[in-house]
Amino acid sequence: MALDQFCFELSPGEVHCLIGENGAGKSTFIKILSGVYSPDSGELIIENKRYERLTTQLARGMGIYTVYQDDVLVPQISVAENIYLGSKDMKKKIFMNYRTVYENAETLARHYGIALDVKELYGNLNPADQQFTKILKALAQSPRILVLDEPTQVFNVTETDIILNIVRKVSETGTGVVYIAHDLDEIIRVASRITILRDGKKVAAYDGVIEELDSSILAKDMVGRPVELFYKKKKHNIGEIGLEVKNLMLGSTSTPIDFSVRKGEILGIAGLKGSGRSAIARAIFGAINRYSGQILYDGIDITPKNPIEAVGHGLAYLTEDKKADGLFLSMPVYQNITIVGLSSFHRFLIKMKSERDISNDYIGRMNIKTADPNQEVQYLSGGNQQKVVIAKWLFKNAKILIVDEPTHGIDVNAKTEVYDLFTELAAEGKSIIMISSEMPEIISMSDRVIVIRKCEISRELSGDEITEYNILAGYLGGTNS
Amino acid sequence: MDNQTRVKPPAASPFFSLFRSQTGYLILVIITVTIIATIMNPRFLSARNIFNIMQQISVLGILTMCMALLMISGNLDISIGNMAGLVGMLFTRMVLTGRSQGIAVITVMILSTALGLINGLIISKSKTTPLIITLGMSYVYYGIALIISNGRPQSLGGEFEFLGRAKIGPVPITIIIYILVFILAYLFRKYSTYGRRVNAIGGNKEAAFLSGINVDSHIISLYGISGMVTGLAGLVLISRLGMVRADSGSNYALQALAAAIIGGITFEGGRGSLVGAFLGVLLLGIMYNAMNIIGVSSYMQTIFLGSVIVIATVISNIGKLKKQ
Repeated sequence: MALDQFCFELSPGEVHCLIGENGAGKSTFIKILSGVYSPDSGELIIENKRYERLTTQLARGMGIYTVYQDDVLVPQISVAENIYLGSKDMKKKIFMNYRTVYENAETLARHYGIALDVKELYGNLNPADQQFTKILKALAQSPRILVLDEPTQVFNVTETDIILNIVRKVSETGTGVVYIAHDLDEIIRVASRITILRDGKKVAAYDGVIEELDSSILAKDMVGRPVELFYKKKKHNIGEIGLEVKNLMLGSTSTPIDFSVRKGEILGIAGLKGSGRSAIARAIFGAINRYSGQILYDGIDITPKNPIEAVGHGLAYLTEDKKADGLFLSMPVYQNITIVGLSSFHRFLIKMKSERDISNDYIGRMNIKTADPNQEVQYLSGGNQQKVVIAKWLFKNAKILIVDEPTHGIDVNAKTEVYDLFTELAAEGKSIIMISSEMPEIISMSDRVIVIRKCEISRELSGDEITEYNILAGYLGGTNS
Repeated sequence: MDNQTRVKPPAASPFFSLFRSQTGYLILVIITVTIIATIMNPRFLSARNIFNIMQQISVLGILTMCMALLMISGNLDISIGNMAGLVGMLFTRMVLTGRSQGIAVITVMILSTALGLINGLIISKSKTTPLIITLGMSYVYYGIALIISNGRPQSLGGEFEFLGRAKIGPVPITIIIYILVFILAYLFRKYSTYGRRVNAIGGNKEAAFLSGINVDSHIISLYGISGMVTGLAGLVLISRLGMVRADSGSNYALQALAAAIIGGITFEGGRGSLVGAFLGVLLLGIMYNAMNIIGVSSYMQTIFLGSVIVIATVISNIGKLKKQ
C-alpha cells in the first residue's frame, strides 16, 4: 500500500513541505492530487467542494499544477514556446504570435528573478535552467496550488536561493505550495508547515515552530520500523582490503570521493534517487567519464577505461534497472547466464553441451524459477530476473560486485533469497558494494555504510553506528552530530 | 509495480507450435504455393525447375544472409545491392583491361570488405542511423560504378563463367555457394561466441556495453564480414549475367531486407532465425518462378510481390499485437 489513512491540509499562501524516504508515498500523494492516480478510498475537498477523485483536466481546471522530478519538455523548441505549449490561451489559437510569446515569457522570468534567454532552445540549456523553465511553465498558468517535487535536486546554492524566493513570492499571492525536498536547510527556510511520511503513513507534523527544528528531530520521526522488516544476516570473517577508490571526481567541481572495500565485506552505499549514487558506480566501472580518480585492487592500479577493462579486472555492475541495461530480454535464460563468461568455453566456439549444463546448474543452485532454460528471460518474474543477472556475473567469476538497488521491485521471498546469496558470496571472499535507498536492506546487510548526498560522502558509519537515524541524518544534511 | 510477469503462452503440441512461429507459417505458404503451381503446370516440380529457382535466388539469398545477420545485431545495410554491383563492375573492367581473373577476384574481395568496414566504422563511431548512412553510401557506390563504366553496360565476353554457369555433377556451383554461405552463417550465429555477442548487442546494446562486450568492434567487423560476403555475391552476379551495368545490384538490398522480414527477422534485433530468412528468400523465388510458369504478366508480378511483403510483415506482428 503506497498511502494509508493519509490526511493532508493546505491553506492558501502556505508552503507545506512533505518529507520522507523514497517509497514513503510522497509521489503517490502528489499524483492523486494532480489527478494521475485515483485513491481507493477517501476524498479531496478543494475550496469547499468534495471530490472522490480528480482527473488531470479537472485538477488543471482548478489550478493545480505539478512540476515533477522527471518532467519532459520539448528540446527542439525555445524556452518561451515550451512555457506556453498546451496552455489555456494557446489552445484557442491556430497561429502563434511569437512576439507575444517571447515577451510574456521574458516578463514572467524577470518577475520571478530568473535570468534566462527565452529564445534559446530548451535542449541547449543546462539542467538548472531546464528546471527553471519547468517551474516557469507551471507559474505561467497562475496556479492556485503549486506542487514542486524535489525542485532543487540539480541545483547549487545560489540557484536554490532563487527557487526558494520564487516559492515565497508565489505563496505571498495566496497560492498554496506543496514542496517535496530532502534538504533540511532548504525546508527550514521555506516551510510554514511540515508533514513527515513513512511507509505511506503520516508520522509527524510540525506547524509554526519550524525554525527550532534540526535534522536530529526530523530523523527521529522518520525512524522506527518493525523488526520483521530486517533481514538477519549471518556473521563471517572479513579479510583484507580489496578494492580501493581514490580521489574519484565526477566533474571538475565535485568533491573527491575516497573509500575502500575489504574482501568478504558488504559496503552499503546509502543514497536517495538523484544523490549521484549510480553515477559513482558507473564511474568506478568505467561506463561514464571521470574527471579524476584511481581504482585499485590488492594495491594494484586497475582503473578501467571502459566496462571491457572493468570486467577483465573482475568487477561486476548489476544495474538498477535490469530490464533497461542488465538483461537481454529477447534471449533465452541460459544465454543470459553465459553471455559475459562466454569465452571461458573457448575463445571462438561455444560448447553447447557444457553451456546447457552450466546454466542448468545455476538455475538449480540459485532456485531460478523458469519453465525451461530456453524460455526468453522477459517472461520471468522480477526476482528471478535479478537472480539471472547475478548468475551471469558469478559465471564470469567476478571478485567485486557493485549492485545497484538489488531488490527493487521484487517480492519479499525473492528478496530474502537475494540476501542469502549476497551473504554467501561475501563469505566466499567477494567484495560487495551495495547501493540502496531501502533502509532495512542497508542496515541489515551492510558491514559498513557510506551515506551519499549531492555526490559527496556525507557520513561513514560502521558497527553500531549503522542506524536508521544516522543514515537519515546523513540524507538530510545539516549539522554533523 | 514493475515486477509483473508476462504470461508465457501455454505449451501446445509440436504440430500446432509449428504454426506459432514465422518459420511454420512460411513452410505452410511455400507448400501451398508449390501445390497450386504444380496443379497449374506440372513442370513446376521438375528437378530442372527446382535447380532453376535455386539458381535464380542465389545472389539474393547470399545477400539476405548479410542483411539478416546485420538486422539481428540491430543494424542494417541498404548499400549491399549497389556494393555487389560495383564489385561486378570493377571486376569486369579489370578483366577487360587485361588483369588476370585471380588478381581481380582478390582485389574486389578486399575492396568489398573494406567498404563494409567503412560503413561499420561510420555507423558505430558516429552513432548514426544505419539506414541513412548506408543509403547514402549506396548512391556513392552507384556513382563510382557509373564513372568506371562511363555509364555503359560492360560485357565479360564469355569469360569467368565458372561461378555462374558451371556444375558439379547435376548441381550448379551457384547453388552450392549459396547453401555453403547459409550453413556457415547458421553455424556462425549459433555456435560462435562472436555470433552470440552480436545477437546480444542487437538485443540490448546498453546491457552489452555494461557486460564488457566491445560493442563497436563487433559491429564494425560484422559490417566487414557482410561486405566480404557481398563481394562474393557480386562475383556470382557478374558470372551469371556475363555482363554488368552500374545499377545491376540496385534492387537487391531492398529485396534482401524484404526476404529477411518475411522470414520473421525484425528491425528491433536480438532475435530472428536464419532458417526463416532462408525460407523467406525461397518463398520469393518460388513465387516469381510460379508466376512466370503460370503466365502472370510481369506488371502483375510486381504488385503481387509487394503485397506478399506487406502481408508477411503484418503476420509476423500478430503475435505482438495479441500480447498487448
